[in-house]
Amino acid sequence: MDEIVGVESVSRRYPLDHNCVSALDDASLHVCTGEFLAIAGPSGSGKSTMLNLIGCIDKPTTGRILLDGVDTSQLNSGQLTALRREKIGFVFQTFNLIPVFTAAENVEFPLLVQGVPSAQRRDRVAAALSNVGLTDRADHRPDLLSGGERQRVAVARAIVHRPALVLADEPTANLDTRNATQLIDLMRDLNRQLGLTFLFSTHDARLLAHADRIVELCDGRIASDSLAQGGSHVEVLASCL
Amino acid sequence: MWKFLLLAFRNIFRNRRRTVMTLVMVGGGVAGLLLVGGFFARMFWGLRESTINDGLGHLQIFTAEHFNREEKHVLDTGIDNWRQVAASVSTGGHVRGVAPRIEFYGMLSNGVKSGVFMGSAVDPVAEKSLGFSPRLAVGRDLDAKPGGEIEALIGTGVARSMNVKPGDGLTLLAVTSDGALNGIDVQIVGTVNTGYKEVDDRYLRITLPSAQRLLQSDRVTNLVVGLDATENTDQVATALAPRLNGSPQHLVLKKWIDLAAYYKQVRSLFSTIFVFLGIIVFFMVLMSSVNTLLMSMFERTREIGTMLAMGTPRSWIMALFVLEATLLGVLGAMVGVAGGNLLGVLLNHSGIHLPPPPGTTVPMSFRVLHVPSLMIGSSLLVIVSLALASILPAIRASRLQIAEALAHV
Repeated sequence: MDEIVGVESVSRRYPLDHNCVSALDDASLHVCTGEFLAIAGPSGSGKSTMLNLIGCIDKPTTGRILLDGVDTSQLNSGQLTALRREKIGFVFQTFNLIPVFTAAENVEFPLLVQGVPSAQRRDRVAAALSNVGLTDRADHRPDLLSGGERQRVAVARAIVHRPALVLADEPTANLDTRNATQLIDLMRDLNRQLGLTFLFSTHDARLLAHADRIVELCDGRIASDSLAQGGSHVEVLASCL
Repeated sequence: MWKFLLLAFRNIFRNRRRTVMTLVMVGGGVAGLLLVGGFFARMFWGLRESTINDGLGHLQIFTAEHFNREEKHVLDTGIDNWRQVAASVSTGGHVRGVAPRIEFYGMLSNGVKSGVFMGSAVDPVAEKSLGFSPRLAVGRDLDAKPGGEIEALIGTGVARSMNVKPGDGLTLLAVTSDGALNGIDVQIVGTVNTGYKEVDDRYLRITLPSAQRLLQSDRVTNLVVGLDATENTDQVATALAPRLNGSPQHLVLKKWIDLAAYYKQVRSLFSTIFVFLGIIVFFMVLMSSVNTLLMSMFERTREIGTMLAMGTPRSWIMALFVLEATLLGVLGAMVGVAGGNLLGVLLNHSGIHLPPPPGTTVPMSFRVLHVPSLMIGSSLLVIVSLALASILPAIRASRLQIAEALAHV
């Protein structure tokens, strides 16, 4: 399969007071199209930093990131914006829906930014909401939706423009077991049915159990990768738990 | 674009209390400008019409010499063939009538005391037809065809100074057009209160034939032209100019605005005050809105980060904030225009009177005009002010670091 993400010897250091804190240290990772990959690790291990760098919303201190074959370090701000718009879908831990928009309008937003014509937008929004089972909640604003429904709207928003990659930062962290399970099943179905590549950070065992591949981060370094261990992630899962 | 506009509009009402406060502030600024501007406009209108109807007229015809040189003798630069000129002008469109005038000066005496007067000789019928009525304090206006005595109106200050009342007599002395001294006896038929003390202390008014007899001349100083509406002044002035070219004397036409020095001074002063008020409102709205819009920006930091993460161009974020502020300005202007006009109506029906303005003795009624250009101007002022106020928050929002914005709590 084609490689969609290439993280090559990437480090990310942040200045903190008079010191420098390393959030990611010489990490390398390669992700192929269609993978359902979990980045696991304790808080502060560098999971969100890794996702931010892959999502082009942060820049590595050293190393480079290839997205669908494009070296992101060579792109300017406008090109990175266009890359995110075209290739990436985001799902956030706190849903991050636009509160004054309805569910349908939230899902429509990425298409609006892409300049997709109105009629096409309507069809694709309807399809995306149908994919996440929220057709009947299309006209509800986020404050009238449950946490699980909000996160499903966020997933619909992330997939509506058919991105090459969906990045989800701890998507089940704010959900109860029932909603978390529904969301995991949904993401898995979308991965299998639509062939979407999912890359998510989590330390939720329920989600890790469904992952094709688990990459564990520890202190900014990749501690283990189930792919390197012959595809079986029992040991990785055990170490994460 | 529609969705973007919808997003901006809905964002305005996220924090309703803050939006209401902003609308009250912006609307208050607009309403204040409308009330002050409307009051000034009414004052300008009142002053304009009273200036015209107190005898200035809409147009005046003089000889060109009247403005080019000082008179050697009284009526030296007067109009000779004024009857033909008046007849020609009075047939023009929008012209209500033409009144000849003589402006002269001299001395008056009650037999024991004398003083200086500034005289105005008029044709009472022509004056009345134009609606130029003297403000009588006591007595009556001049009779066009008096039986025997020469009639005169005097200012209240003259009456007080000369200790005379209607029915008493005065002697007028003036230099004739030949340079000789001439005198006539007049009977006081009334006293006039012009509203200006300096004028009332010197004012005298007699009929045109009486003045021509006193000054030994058939000439008049000028012809006053009254129109059906002040707004037609420019149009009529343009139309009448060719009619004056046939006269043996070089005649010139002056519009009321050219002769109303006091009106222009008052208008200039109050216009400057209004501009100053406008500047205050502009900065008041600007400074308070910057703070409000910055608060709104900080509250939405994570949302802006999300939009940027999804590939929204930074220019869109800037435009969104400017659009929101502009919409807020439009709503504030609507509130202000509605509120200002409502308050204006209430004030117009309140019957409030203000003390007499400086130099006058007549109290002024407090009235506000509803001026469309003022509504548009005041609205544009606050809309531009709010749009400018949004630039700083808009720039800050568009420059947010996405990762930091997403981590914002």
